[in-house]
Amino acid sequence: MMLFPVLLMAQENVEHDNILKIKVGTGYQLDTYLSPLGYTGMVYGLGNEWWQPFRKDTKLGKTGKLDHWAHVGRVDIALSNYYSKARTNKYMGVQLAAGWGAFYEWRWIDERLKVFVGPYLDADFMVREQANNVNKIVSLDVAIDVMAMGGISWSFYGKKTSYRLGYMLRTNLIGFDYLPEYWESYYEITQGVPGQPRCSGHWNHNTLKHQLALDMQFPHSTWRIGAEHELINYGTDNLHFVRHQFGIVVGCLWKYKIRANARL
Amino acid sequence: MKSRYTIIWLLIAILLSACHAKEEMTYSADPVDNIEALWQIIDTKYCYIDTKGIDWQAIHEEYIAKAAALNINDKMALFDLCASMLDSLRDGHVNLYSDFDRSYNTAWYDSYPANYNAELQKLYLKDYRIAGGLYYCTIDDGKIGYVYYPSFSNSVGVSNLYWIFTTFKDCKGLIIDVRNNGGGDITNAYKLAAPFFTENQTIGFWQHKTGTGHNDFSALEPMTLDQSLVEQCKWLRPVVVLCNRHTYSAANLFVSMMRYAEHSTIVGGISGGGGGMPMSYELPIGWMVRFSSVRMYDRDKKDIEPGIAPDITVTMTSTDKDDIIEKAIQWINKQ
Repeated sequence: MMLFPVLLMAQENVEHDNILKIKVGTGYQLDTYLSPLGYTGMVYGLGNEWWQPFRKDTKLGKTGKLDHWAHVGRVDIALSNYYSKARTNKYMGVQLAAGWGAFYEWRWIDERLKVFVGPYLDADFMVREQANNVNKIVSLDVAIDVMAMGGISWSFYGKKTSYRLGYMLRTNLIGFDYLPEYWESYYEITQGVPGQPRCSGHWNHNTLKHQLALDMQFPHSTWRIGAEHELINYGTDNLHFVRHQFGIVVGCLWKYKIRANARL
Repeated sequence: MKSRYTIIWLLIAILLSACHAKEEMTYSADPVDNIEALWQIIDTKYCYIDTKGIDWQAIHEEYIAKAAALNINDKMALFDLCASMLDSLRDGHVNLYSDFDRSYNTAWYDSYPANYNAELQKLYLKDYRIAGGLYYCTIDDGKIGYVYYPSFSNSVGVSNLYWIFTTFKDCKGLIIDVRNNGGGDITNAYKLAAPFFTENQTIGFWQHKTGTGHNDFSALEPMTLDQSLVEQCKWLRPVVVLCNRHTYSAANLFVSMMRYAEHSTIVGGISGGGGGMPMSYELPIGWMVRFSSVRMYDRDKKDIEPGIAPDITVTMTSTDKDDIIEKAIQWINKQ
């Protein structure tokens, strides 16, 4: 299964980055549906991210030449374990995020410096369970956003290794999120009483996700180390939700391209 | 080039706008901070302050003064003070949880007869089987089925009910004993009540708080008994529900629902109430407080917090038999 797409892409002169990564980090969670206290703790994640340029179209079909437009997708899952400052209670959370975006890329200096900007569709879901809550144990974040995505990367070379240092940022523009009604119980929610699915944007829901990554291409493999930061901040009335996470990322990168020994 | 800079400045502007102020309560072990926070939580989120005629403002002044006199290191004294303040709500759904203690209120059942004796119950609950959380056997020479459900925290499934009703297929009627059942998961109350109804119907209402005022509530939302919970598993013969003052919370809701079943009657003493669905929240010291937050009503829109009066009131006085079960047997045999 791995060989087939590699060969196919090679014929079409398309490079394709696929990164499998793990994340370990710390986080802060405020969820006033469950508690007025802020919780802090650890986050453990696994993710997959891929990048691929679009190909230029002509009257004769796809030429195989790379366009300035490319697309990126990612799927992330994370588990978190947060404690209140008094250590009398804890949250256990499962977080899922997936998205796809397209961006336009400007290239300078032999294509070593790249700046890109584009739209990104992001789906973010997190469910939290509060360990010692007797009757209202679960809360969740649900959001689907159209985001603005932007970033910059710089490729440079060592003796036997080439590097690419990249920074990417995404922030929400408009979308939908869900909030329980003030003091609505989970019984009511599961019975189908509506909460507040609402239109969201920067006036009521802030999402900021960014990452700094260094890709290192060794003779036989390419690795990534980096950092990811995420801030989600939204609410209504007396409900307020903040998810703030910072994580260190280590990943393995598969880069499919046709030119032998080509640098990043 | 100009459009490139415009995009970059637009992104920066969006980032700078992402600044919502946090409303986090900070950790504190100070007695005044905690009494104040507890008072605020109950003031804004408890659903029966006005209904019960509690002068909550007077309680604030009294307890803030007491808190100011406490030693900041004496956490047990602070706990007792918080518990004492919560006692004024006279509500079984109000508790304070810490690592060293859990407070509870007994005023709602202290002055009522017990109407339950486990030793006397053993005269009837013999050679029983256990399906899910339900203990069941036949009584009165196999003519009547008897089911004892001690807690709605123990699950009930449609397959449990199927086997119980199959066992009781030759019985004339059924007794469901929820005395001393302190409640639990209300979805079990729905599942246990559904076989006694033939179609989906509204069996009550609830309303949750929508703001910080004592009377800021949502509109009444119907609670619907969904027949898909039990599919074709039905019991349409006489059924008696036994309750006492310790029949509380989800069990109280079950009794409330069963009043509307076609072939049912309620026997025993007034149920305990607990019609306010509880929620939990935390104090600055990290203790958890539980309190009623969602009001529940019966189908006639009457508050079920004070308890459900039985159709046939029986007070246990005998020492050699269970008067309430005997009355239930008598009622079924008359049908």
